[in-house]
Amino acid sequence: MTTSQFFISAWSGNPWVIAGCAAALLMGGARFRPPTAWLLLATAVFFVTLCSPLDALADGYLFSAHMLQHLLLLLIVPLLILLGWSGRTAPQDLENGRWRWANWILRPPVATWLMGVGGMWLWHAPTLCNAAGSNVWVHHLQSASLLGMGLAFWWPIIGPRTGQRLAPPAGMIYLFTACLGCTLLGIIITFSPVEVCSIYLHPLDRLGILPLIQDQWGLTPAKDQQLGGLLMWVPACLIYFFGILGLLVRWYREPGPESAPAAATQPTLIEKPHGL
Amino acid sequence: MAKSYIPVFDPASAHTEAISHLFILVLVVCAIILLIVSGIVAIGLIRFRQRPGSGDPPPHFGNRKLELLWTIGPTLIVIWLFVLTARGMHESDPVPPPNQEPDLVIIGHQFWWEVRYPKAGVITANEIHLPTGAKWLVRMESADVIHDFWMPELARKIQLIPGQTNHIWLDAKKPGRFLGNCVEYCGVGHAWMRAVVVMESPDEFAAWLREQQKSAPPPVTDSARNGWKVFTTQTCVNCHSIRGVSAASLGAAPDLTHLADRSILGAGVLANSTTNLFRWLKNPQAIKPGCLMPNLKLTDAQAGALTGYLEHHP
Amino acid sequence: MSVTVSTAPAVATPPTEVKLRGPYGWVATVDHKRIGILYLLTTLFFFLVGGVEALLMRIQLARPNNTFISPDAFGQLFTMHGTTMIFLVVMPTLIGLANYLVPLMIGARDMAFPRLNALGFWMLPFGGFLLHYSLLAGGAPAVGWFSYAPLSETAYAATAGTDYWGLALLVIGIGSVAASINLIATILTLRAPGLTLRRLPLFVWMVFINSFLVILALPFLNAAIVMLFIDRHLGTHFFVPAHGGSAVMWQHFFWAFGHPEVYIMVLPAFGIISEIVPVFARRPIFGYEFVAGSTVAIALLSFGVWAHHMFAVGLGHPMDMFFSATSLLIAVPTGIKVFAWSATLWGGSIRLTTAMLFAVAFLIQFTIGGLSGITFAVVPIDWQVTGTYYLVAHFHYVLFGGTFFAVLAAVYYWFPKMSGRMLSEKLGKLNFWMAVIGFNTAFFVQHFLGLMGMPRRVYTYADLPGWGLLNLISTLGAFLLGLSVLILLWNIIISLRRGRLAGDNPWQAWTLEWAATSPPPQQNFDRVPPINSRRPLWDLAHPENPDPAVGGRRSRDGFVLEKNRVGMVTFLVSESCFFLMLILAWLFYNSRAMTGPSPAGTLNAHKTGMYTICLLTSSAAIWLAEKQLRAGRHGWFRGLLGLTILLGGIFIFGQGREYLRIYHQGIVVSSNLFTTTFFTLTGFHGLHVCVGLILLLLLMRLSLAGDFKPGRIEAVKSISLYWHFVDAVWIVVFSVVYLKLLL
Repeated sequence: MTTSQFFISAWSGNPWVIAGCAAALLMGGARFRPPTAWLLLATAVFFVTLCSPLDALADGYLFSAHMLQHLLLLLIVPLLILLGWSGRTAPQDLENGRWRWANWILRPPVATWLMGVGGMWLWHAPTLCNAAGSNVWVHHLQSASLLGMGLAFWWPIIGPRTGQRLAPPAGMIYLFTACLGCTLLGIIITFSPVEVCSIYLHPLDRLGILPLIQDQWGLTPAKDQQLGGLLMWVPACLIYFFGILGLLVRWYREPGPESAPAAATQPTLIEKPHGL
Repeated sequence: MAKSYIPVFDPASAHTEAISHLFILVLVVCAIILLIVSGIVAIGLIRFRQRPGSGDPPPHFGNRKLELLWTIGPTLIVIWLFVLTARGMHESDPVPPPNQEPDLVIIGHQFWWEVRYPKAGVITANEIHLPTGAKWLVRMESADVIHDFWMPELARKIQLIPGQTNHIWLDAKKPGRFLGNCVEYCGVGHAWMRAVVVMESPDEFAAWLREQQKSAPPPVTDSARNGWKVFTTQTCVNCHSIRGVSAASLGAAPDLTHLADRSILGAGVLANSTTNLFRWLKNPQAIKPGCLMPNLKLTDAQAGALTGYLEHHP
Repeated sequence: MSVTVSTAPAVATPPTEVKLRGPYGWVATVDHKRIGILYLLTTLFFFLVGGVEALLMRIQLARPNNTFISPDAFGQLFTMHGTTMIFLVVMPTLIGLANYLVPLMIGARDMAFPRLNALGFWMLPFGGFLLHYSLLAGGAPAVGWFSYAPLSETAYAATAGTDYWGLALLVIGIGSVAASINLIATILTLRAPGLTLRRLPLFVWMVFINSFLVILALPFLNAAIVMLFIDRHLGTHFFVPAHGGSAVMWQHFFWAFGHPEVYIMVLPAFGIISEIVPVFARRPIFGYEFVAGSTVAIALLSFGVWAHHMFAVGLGHPMDMFFSATSLLIAVPTGIKVFAWSATLWGGSIRLTTAMLFAVAFLIQFTIGGLSGITFAVVPIDWQVTGTYYLVAHFHYVLFGGTFFAVLAAVYYWFPKMSGRMLSEKLGKLNFWMAVIGFNTAFFVQHFLGLMGMPRRVYTYADLPGWGLLNLISTLGAFLLGLSVLILLWNIIISLRRGRLAGDNPWQAWTLEWAATSPPPQQNFDRVPPINSRRPLWDLAHPENPDPAVGGRRSRDGFVLEKNRVGMVTFLVSESCFFLMLILAWLFYNSRAMTGPSPAGTLNAHKTGMYTICLLTSSAAIWLAEKQLRAGRHGWFRGLLGLTILLGGIFIFGQGREYLRIYHQGIVVSSNLFTTTFFTLTGFHGLHVCVGLILLLLLMRLSLAGDFKPGRIEAVKSISLYWHFVDAVWIVVFSVVYLKLLL
């Protein structure tokens, strides 16, 4: 099979994914008429992540493809969803409705940070990584949890409740430390001689594409792990990087909080100093 | 470097040609950017020079559109450069197929290059002969510290790192004699760790290789025997090998088989001639300070005999 | 969001400085202005030393096959020149300028920690002394300023020079980190009312961001040097490939520091130019937000580009490509700045004073250096030109033609403020033209030498066509440059005596330092002008046309921070980076197969687990102690503090027993890479615990002396934070080493 043949043919139609996309579009369409471009993009990326040839590659063939899926599910799709949500009316449910319990996880930045960074680390523990690769239910759990944890992670930065958002300087520290977290993981995976996810060491060639991957693309298991680690590291950090830049833009645009009335500790002088 | 002034822009192989073209393209882009910036600055300095009696101009804080332009524009240029980079890397340094046996092995030492032709069983030093029109896979290793092999007309540079093997391709389209250097500071003798690559026609190369494969014959004439005696009794044999005569117990120095055929001595510090070899043998430290060959305090007679032996008996 | 408030006053308590006269006054000073000047004088001295080293090399290189200097001496010269210029000149000059200017520019009396400031300064001459002492102790270091392993190991670098190199850098590093912690705390906590972070002068903003780079990057260097020391003196093999170590690891560790380091050397220079160009173009900087934002972008990206120094190592195409992408990307924020400065000139009313001339030269020269840098980011080009004189030309263009010219601009701009007198413009212009011509003559031709095949760090070269001529031209340019430095010195000397009196604001500039007298009094300001925008003095001079009030009138930042806490947190962030490197080393070496002692066979996780519980309990104890002190119950405070010390002591005792048990099995630090990384990691942690115990004992002593009765608990809070940090690090170390997490 050639590369182009593979990329045309390897699409699948996972019923859960399709149902999820449909539900998102419907809910989004119901609440925000018409559904925003961000939401459409989010749905499209979600679909591509789990139903395109990328999924075929991640399903036992390439560790790096698996990493790319993680990145998309944890960092990109939730970000797109929240971008589509922000600027619209915030859900009242979160204040005093059925979803009030979510405040426990969404309010403290430490909790959401741990979910975002922890989610990345958790699913790379060799046992969990292998389980997700071999058991389809664990795989579904993995995808759903990554999505959920990603939403939690981005909530203090770009969540719809602007009052709950972190102030930009704190937000920048939040994202910077998250970047450090994924850098550390990325470095360990890139340079480790040990296989992180051993099921990728000897892929089961269900689709007959192993020669394509290993010979034509040159992705041996060692190179594949290195590439996976690099993906975890550089593109992920670039996402955080652009997030920080976005926060900088927001910071410089905001009007500041008004100062307390004159309780100044230093007298200020109105007369002109010399030299002007 | 003997022929061309600027070897980086005088490529002799397809690989360095790809680099040279890319380099020129990038330099043109850089020159344009420099001209724009210098132009703005120069014209600005002249046009907006302070006129006597004028006060401060009204404050102007920026122009969002312009700033976005000079953010997005360079980003696009940089993305384009990255694409060129990826393609250039593939063209100039193709990844060797896994498990391909190298055609040539170069091992870096302080301060010389050990050169092995594994398939022909030839070991030599500092001077490499290769046939034109063929791509040779070269494996790079180091016996001590980090070195860096660089032949600007022929290939990218690559570090020789102890504990690691690296690979590059060496090839040339036309015959020629190319000079290279060690490019990673490796100690006192670094400046004189030179290499020569001779690219010759396949026939000439085959002939050279055949000659190299021959072992040195035992000494016949008296003078040769004198020289051979000096070689074997004055500790030379501990470090230097001559195939057919002796294998060095330490193997820490260049193989001297067919020394007479080489064009350089001491990894490029001297051209190969009887006078130079004599000078070298009398006091290598004076010629190449820091080289690991000690001054053996040979008498003139001993040095003379040794020179005769090495230069006239391959 | 939580806010840290304490009972300490918002302004730094003025140091009780006795009026000391003469030289002793300078030695004992804690006044940031004097310390700043001391920095500048010291770096000027080392600049002359490094310059002489450079000129000696250029004499040797002026002709092919020259024998003026032996290769061994040459190796020492280029190592000393690089080390001196980077660590003893450029970095401290920028720190010294920041020291002098930042408190003035933010309307503060002094730095947040004046005594720490003095300590940081004295590390500089001490480090310089250590480095140069090597000349008397067997020879200066001769393995290059980045000391690649295994050349820097004892097998190949037998003299103590490399050890003095490492020691000097560790000492100077302490000074740099101390200064940066001080700057961060000062800028975050001592700004005058109305000076929000978004209104900071760009010099202050860039110094602020730069300080984060320093505290994060220098620990990487410290870890690498420490590991090299242990190799050299305890027989271990971190970087010795023949025994399982990795030479490439040194390169990664070093350049992880080395690349942020070059941005550390250039960001404050960007700040200087961002102050000077607007003043002499008589316009505010074009696009403040983009310039400030691009600084953050550069700082972030600078940690992700280091392996572009290693494109020739053979890391593999994927790795090379990722680092090429980030290296190309970092050109964008740098370009934003260059365009902003150029646009500031446009439409202005430009006064070409000497300071402005140097700033303009910076603009062009830095652009040249930056563009040659872009050529390096294109990997195949790097494969040709790295390690050659093209590279030497590149870094001299950015560091000398860039940073140093910015420093010269700063000297001409701020000398009047520091001394009260103007430098001579005539001599200044002579200085400028000699410097520009000399610099470009010396270094532009080196681009060609690199393309012609000349490697760097060679003491001589063969008589190939063109090499001799270009080298000679370069040498002549270098000497002209050297002469221009003498003109500068002369200018400074005579202007100190006979220069025109400057007045408060000779340049009609707009930032706060120009509201103080020249030179400023010890307390800097009696009163600070009202601050509503980024140019307070412009607003005062032009009340009919003030600058827009950034962030609304009379605004403040949304947080209040306490300086001791900021200082301690910053310090702990820095220490985390150090431990991070040791943990990475552990993970790297222990993930490979090796012979000899193994964790499973050597370590006792259960016993150590018990001692770990002691340590963690001690954290709880000191937390409770803090609460008791706050409630005023001093007896309880002392009791719980004592418990903390006891539990910490038990932990150290346990560690000691573990070490002894292992030692009795015949296992030492050099047995294999497991033992090496084990002892290094746990050893440094133990050292931090011991330091913590000493601090706690000091607290106990202070408490017994009644020092905390009036409610001053800042010291306690800071030290307890340190103690918690030490425990947190141990949790990670224990998990990774004893519980084999991540392996």
